[in-house]
Amino acid sequence: METNFIFAGFGGQGILLAGTILANAFMIEGKNVTWYPCYGAEMRGGTVNCEIVVSDSEVSSVHKQDTDYAIVLNQQSFDRFITRVKAGGTIIANSTLVAEARPRNDIKYVFAPMTKLANDLGTSKVTNVVSLGVLASACSIVSKEFLAKGIEKVLGEKKRDLIPLNLKALDGAFALS
Amino acid sequence: MTNRDEKVLIKGNYAIAQAAVNAGCQCYFGYPITPQTEIGEYLSGKMQELGRGYVCAESELAAINMVMGAVATGVKAMTSSSSCAVALMQEALSYAASDELPVVLVNVMRTGPGLGYIYPAQGDYNQAVYGGGNGDYNLIVLAPSTVQECVDLTYRAFYLAQKYRNPVILLADGLLGQMMEPASFGEYPYPEVDVSSWALTGAKGRDARMIYSVATDEKKQIQHICDLHRKFEVIAENETTYEEFEVDDADIVLVAFGSMTRNIKAAMKVLRAKGIKAGCFRPVTLNPFPHKQIHALAEKGKEFAVVEMNMGQMFKDVKYAVEGLSNVSLINRACGEWLSVEEIVSSVENVLRGGKQLAASL
Repeated sequence: METNFIFAGFGGQGILLAGTILANAFMIEGKNVTWYPCYGAEMRGGTVNCEIVVSDSEVSSVHKQDTDYAIVLNQQSFDRFITRVKAGGTIIANSTLVAEARPRNDIKYVFAPMTKLANDLGTSKVTNVVSLGVLASACSIVSKEFLAKGIEKVLGEKKRDLIPLNLKALDGAFALS
Repeated sequence: MTNRDEKVLIKGNYAIAQAAVNAGCQCYFGYPITPQTEIGEYLSGKMQELGRGYVCAESELAAINMVMGAVATGVKAMTSSSSCAVALMQEALSYAASDELPVVLVNVMRTGPGLGYIYPAQGDYNQAVYGGGNGDYNLIVLAPSTVQECVDLTYRAFYLAQKYRNPVILLADGLLGQMMEPASFGEYPYPEVDVSSWALTGAKGRDARMIYSVATDEKKQIQHICDLHRKFEVIAENETTYEEFEVDDADIVLVAFGSMTRNIKAAMKVLRAKGIKAGCFRPVTLNPFPHKQIHALAEKGKEFAVVEMNMGQMFKDVKYAVEGLSNVSLINRACGEWLSVEEIVSSVENVLRGGKQLAASL
């Protein structure tokens, strides 16, 4: 059983970091996982995305044509990745920056005002972690507990002081969704 | 083999760099190029911390020659680069092979020819296996397929280079360099090789030594080339490595190297679920190439489909190994988006229906 996730948004929204936290959460849970970024001439304000594949057995292709979940934090990413969601898959969108449209009727939609939630917590910088909380509430194979461990692992000793704020963002988003 | 400790989620490039540190690499010389720049970035801090050597060279040509100088003194050293910049190092690789210098070179492949671009590709198979340098020489070429193997084969590259006094290329690709996957490092699992009989360490208390490749005496040069080739026969005998999956009852064997291996393994499962007896074969050493093992499978009547991200470079080696005993097809794309499992499956079905290779060319 293999499931994949695409995170996409503006450069600077913490897209690659959100994916890294999710991949760490799966690793800590003992699953096979890969993380693959778009790479190249990227810049702050441009678009960025990464793909996470999780599997019970060895991960097959790390970069797939379609996806089970697309987590999109801006309008451009919604427009670009909605076509890549599998029939029956889910798109999770940041409704602070994405219009609540439902152009396809064969996929599920989750709209959450992620940037607003993050701002309410004190900083838009935790929008990416808010998106993880929303994902955990919408997807049974993503566990909030392991995401919390992933946050602790990724932030580590050097950024230990930021862990409580991020855990609060995760919990807040999960509770509201 | 190693004391495996906790797994870390790590990029292929960083995994190669940390493995080089663990292997005892004393000097790194390099010049940045996407998609392998993280190797030099990581080592620029790490080597300084450890009191080892790091030089951001003025060019790739300089970097590889610095590696030659360093390894001639008996220490472990490496450089890393990508495709079009590895092209600049070909002259030095020919010299290093002739001088029997244990150079370690990491090539994280991107797209060529010419400057190409940063998309991943596997188009440097020929460059690595057949070489762009002059004369009759062989490099040992190792092709990792996972981030864990980026660690394991970097360890092996340093060991084989010194064990056989032969340059080694670790042939990775942009996808592997950029992706993250859990890996564990353990300790460097190989014994230290005694280099005291040849290393240039200063002639105090002994006769002077020279390492050079100029040969004005024809007979001596013939002898030297034959010696190099005999050495490589020993390497082929001892070090040829490959993996095979479910080949025993297979009618068609998919062959891939590097990170494409994971896609053919997944395709094999899908094909088997559809009732097609597929197996997989993956050379770990591209040079020495497992010709004998592929030939043995061909003798059992199995046909082959080579799946690679180039215009059919390893395909020729597989055909050479099969020697016309069975059908060999090519499933390929020039560069960029890796062939998907679905594309491989439909191409194999097409081949088995008697169609030509698919062409997932665009």
